[in-house]
Amino acid sequence: MAEKKLGLKEKYQLMTRGLDWETTYQPMDKVFPYDKYEGIKIKDWDKWEDPFRLTMDAYWKYQAEKERKLYAILDSFSQNNGQLNISDARYLTALKIWMQGITPAEYNSHRGFCMVGRQFRGAGARVACQMQALDELRHAQTQIHAFSHYNKHFGGFHQAMHMRDRAWYLSIPKSFFEDAMTAGPFEFVTSISFAFEYVLTNLLFMPFVSGAAYNGDMATTTFGFSAQSDESRHMTLGLEVVKFVLEQHEDNVPIMQRYIDKWFWRGYRLLALVGVMMDYMLPRKVMSWAEAWGIYWEENGTALFNDLARYGIKPPKYHEIATAEKNHITHQAWAVFYTACPATGFHAWLPQEYELDWLSEKYGSTFDRYYRPRFAEFARIEREGGRFYTNRLPLVCQTCQVPDFFTEVDNPMKQSIRQYEWQGMKYNFCSDGCRDIFAHEPEKFCQAYIPPQQIYQGNAGGARTLPEYAAWLKCEFGKDSGEYYTSEDYARWKAMHGGNDTTPSSAAA
Amino acid sequence: MSFQLTIEPTGEVVEVEEGQSLLDACLRAGIYLPYACNHGLCGTCKVQVVEGEIEHNEASSFALMDLERSEGKCLACVATLSSDCVIEADVEEEPDAQHHLVQDLTARVVRLADLTPTVKGVWLELPAPGLSFQAGQYVNVSVPGVAGPRAFSIASAPSSPTLLELNVRKVDGGAATTYLHEQVQVGDTLAISGPLGRFFVRESAHLPMIFLAGGSGVSSPKSMILDLLERGNTQPITLVYGARNRDELYDHDLFESLAAAHANFRYVPVLGEASADWIGLTGMTHDAANEVFAKRFSEHKAYLCGPPLMIEACISALMQGRLFERDIYTEKFLSAADGAEGLARSPLFRRL
Repeated sequence: MAEKKLGLKEKYQLMTRGLDWETTYQPMDKVFPYDKYEGIKIKDWDKWEDPFRLTMDAYWKYQAEKERKLYAILDSFSQNNGQLNISDARYLTALKIWMQGITPAEYNSHRGFCMVGRQFRGAGARVACQMQALDELRHAQTQIHAFSHYNKHFGGFHQAMHMRDRAWYLSIPKSFFEDAMTAGPFEFVTSISFAFEYVLTNLLFMPFVSGAAYNGDMATTTFGFSAQSDESRHMTLGLEVVKFVLEQHEDNVPIMQRYIDKWFWRGYRLLALVGVMMDYMLPRKVMSWAEAWGIYWEENGTALFNDLARYGIKPPKYHEIATAEKNHITHQAWAVFYTACPATGFHAWLPQEYELDWLSEKYGSTFDRYYRPRFAEFARIEREGGRFYTNRLPLVCQTCQVPDFFTEVDNPMKQSIRQYEWQGMKYNFCSDGCRDIFAHEPEKFCQAYIPPQQIYQGNAGGARTLPEYAAWLKCEFGKDSGEYYTSEDYARWKAMHGGNDTTPSSAAA
Repeated sequence: MSFQLTIEPTGEVVEVEEGQSLLDACLRAGIYLPYACNHGLCGTCKVQVVEGEIEHNEASSFALMDLERSEGKCLACVATLSSDCVIEADVEEEPDAQHHLVQDLTARVVRLADLTPTVKGVWLELPAPGLSFQAGQYVNVSVPGVAGPRAFSIASAPSSPTLLELNVRKVDGGAATTYLHEQVQVGDTLAISGPLGRFFVRESAHLPMIFLAGGSGVSSPKSMILDLLERGNTQPITLVYGARNRDELYDHDLFESLAAAHANFRYVPVLGEASADWIGLTGMTHDAANEVFAKRFSEHKAYLCGPPLMIEACISALMQGRLFERDIYTEKFLSAADGAEGLARSPLFRRL
């Protein structure tokens, strides 16, 4: 009989087993000081199943070839003036917010995985975190390279890292990732690998990459393809982490439930930025936020939590609130962007007629009743030669740091505000979800750096007006910020097209 | 036109139709390969082609690199066959799986018995040397006048290869089961093919075993338990057997006498609705399991067989009692009436 062949799993185990050891000069608890204090109990790290059996050698080879392909396309995109082929320069607002908010988050994710890759005492988990740390660094770099061509022609791309630590709307992703990075290693992987990379990733990645494809942005679309095989590994890691921890000890179940509740809600609030991109920033529409939420959360999320119920895990707290809000939040967020865009690094505008009709069709139950009249009023002001900009800073939620434009789910005419008192101070929140997160860790969240408060205290270079504040972000009104149709971007886009206004007249690609 | 695909390291062979993806063919044959996007973009289902010709089709150049193509890798979710092929894939090795040749045989009905008001016992005699099979497997039975065969688990032990026992639950409006309940006569012949299925005991784990059975789902566990006890297995074996009422509980005396004769076998019958003289447990199968194991199932192997809702409830009970996917094996008894396909699943679990 022929010699029995080894399975791939056995081969990988034989190659990698025993590379780790029990330390003797120092006790293991001192070598790995952070993987116990969260209360997560791991009985047997060997039960960790490597979700992807990739060697470093193979990893370098794959990534090198992927990058050769990506950079060949980026080069040809740039040599052929690919910026001329996008649907409309308004599309670039989506890229600018990604560049300013998400690319630095990829970098922070890299830092986070470096840290937890040091902190787990199981070698399998450490290796998985190391690979993901490298992926995240590559994603930050390749995004910067994919977007850099636009920086030659348009505003808003030039100071992402500077802005990320200062801009009020960028404190949303910044605080999300910094909250994760300052948590314990198990909370970090649950927040990033499970809640963000598994549960919510399709709502982030799919609209962004499909949006790029629908709007003629070959550079970003190719970045998306080059990242997708990494993302599928990250999703697998997210599932493996949750299964592993839940199976190790029953005491882990309530801790994981709290992490899932917290990071679902934090992730959902962060995704308001993606929703508003889908509904308002993409001139050619992929699908509405409400449709994406229906498919990627209500259907896929329900299937996932049906399965997790076997472990005793319940669907995340307040998920029904998120679903009830799906027909509202993007319209509310765009009104804030439209009126506050002088204090940002991007442009905003009133939706074109075809877009208003598309929104009416996609949001039949809410748009005509609550939101279209508001845009009609802004349009009246524009027709009379004005432009409505807000002249004050918004109230920002102490937890998610989103300006509190949210309304009560049973009354879209009433602002949703929650308060919590702690050590004699009053803190404001956008929702029960954010208030609960604060109440569990007030010592952590009371330290949040809330941009509007800091600006009023003079800590934004002494800025007193929105354009002065934008200047402190190193953004110039009219060049990087403010109304699109009076911006340098629009003037340049028209000049690139022989002086013609090429704004699309339909949502279809 | 179809090709044969051999999957290493297990050596299993599946038929792949022209234009059918390798992944689709494997999953339909009950062989799980890791996969995710299912359209050539993510690379999760990458396998090594050892022999034969394939087409890469829509595989993304980022998910399957040129250097991998030249090494003979392909993405199972989009690749199709151009010849018979051998691939090496990330499939679980099953040291306990026996490989029996699938045979097409003509069986003669030699005995019929009403086991319960809804379950008919059908005994089939096969020409020598009979059918060699692994306890837990099933056969496909072709019923005259009914399109397509129906699957029935073998309830008898592999030690009697020429006499198979099947337990046929009457499905409302089901043509095949109605025929077997109302028309078939002793002396009739039926075409069968088998053995099929990958539901078998993991003896090499050397762990105590729990069998959770519902209704006519007791047939596979019966074969498995008879086989284990005949061969002198000494691990603790528990059968929790749920039936709607006393009339629906069959082979009760057989299991009681097995429990009396074997110290390592425990028999726990449970009835959904019990009459006043019933001294056993009442409730659902998973409730009974929770009661006899005090909600603690770790360090066991569990085998579940029965209708989908019973299986689902038992999986949840086992997991909350700290027994997980690697130690749980199921055989779902599906019929059109169960409507179980509706329950959407996520990729969290591979098999369950």
